[in-house]
Amino acid sequence: MILCWGLMACAPGNSNKSANSVKFQQYYVEGEVLFKKYCINCHQSDGLGLGRVYPPLDKSDFMEKNFEEVICIIKNGREGELWVNGVMYNQPMKSNPTLTELEVTELATYIYNTWNNQRGLVEVREVTSALSACPDR
Amino acid sequence: MDWRLNAGNLMLASRLIFGVGVFGFLFMSCGGKEEKLPIFGQREVAGTDTVYHTIAPFAFVDQDSLWVTNNTFKDNIYVADFFFTTCRTICPIMKRQMLRVYEATAEMPDVKILSHTIDPEYDTVALLHDFAERLGVESKRWHFVTGVKDSIYKIAQTSYFATAMEDKTEPDGFIHSGAFLLIDKKQRIRGKYDGTKEEDVNRLIIDIKKLRREGEN
Repeated sequence: MILCWGLMACAPGNSNKSANSVKFQQYYVEGEVLFKKYCINCHQSDGLGLGRVYPPLDKSDFMEKNFEEVICIIKNGREGELWVNGVMYNQPMKSNPTLTELEVTELATYIYNTWNNQRGLVEVREVTSALSACPDR
Repeated sequence: MDWRLNAGNLMLASRLIFGVGVFGFLFMSCGGKEEKLPIFGQREVAGTDTVYHTIAPFAFVDQDSLWVTNNTFKDNIYVADFFFTTCRTICPIMKRQMLRVYEATAEMPDVKILSHTIDPEYDTVALLHDFAERLGVESKRWHFVTGVKDSIYKIAQTSYFATAMEDKTEPDGFIHSGAFLLIDKKQRIRGKYDGTKEEDVNRLIIDIKKLRREGEN
């Protein structure tokens, strides 16, 4: 019984992932500050991007299916063709080399939980793991 | 209709008179004198004439590989700005705002847009063509031009009074203002707006309409 209790306490708490947890709020709020500093110009405050120049972050099939790659893109930028919702984008995105892993985590928490996105809290270990396996640009 | 004088007819008549009165009043105030937009830049008075600052002669190439000169805008009002496609600071906001201008002037055949790239080395005609297409705009209404770098910088600074030059210390490599310039049919600057601010662009759209009403401008 105690073992069960112990396991439950150690398991990744659903409480942390919920939008009500303090950690989530902290990451989200910081993420928004970072978004406004680094991302909003191109991806816009409504997350819809601009024409077929800058892709949307809202209702984006690419975002939904490519979490690890999105983490890599946030930090390393990207060049070349990228398909989102059946539309091809080809505008180079510059890297953000000064972002720490925590900042990338906060940014990801923000973009994945705003507009129509509801992924829940992003943890630093997920980002560390993704960044360790980024493809060469 | 019963033409005899009675209460019902009197009511109707008074309503009609009131309506005509209001209509007349509105009509009068529409025809009234509207304050004209200023004319920017130096001016010289020669006798009874005033010679205003105008945009210098230019020749650039647009996204369809066509020459764009002052003549392209003969009898047109246009909005000019300076940007480059890889800019990630102010340009995306400027383009979004300029798109608003483009959409607001969709039914105005005498209004065009002229965007100059300040990075002609990277922003080739082909790239500008792709960029414009991705924004979903018609080239004859919105020209994206490239050309000799020094000519572009010179015209930005001396004709349009907009900052635009290379600066390797800047995050994107260029220093440039987000200004939108409103040019009238006589190639004179009639307004300067911050293309990164929605309220300023609202004002620009209002001023475009004002300029069109100026008639003999």
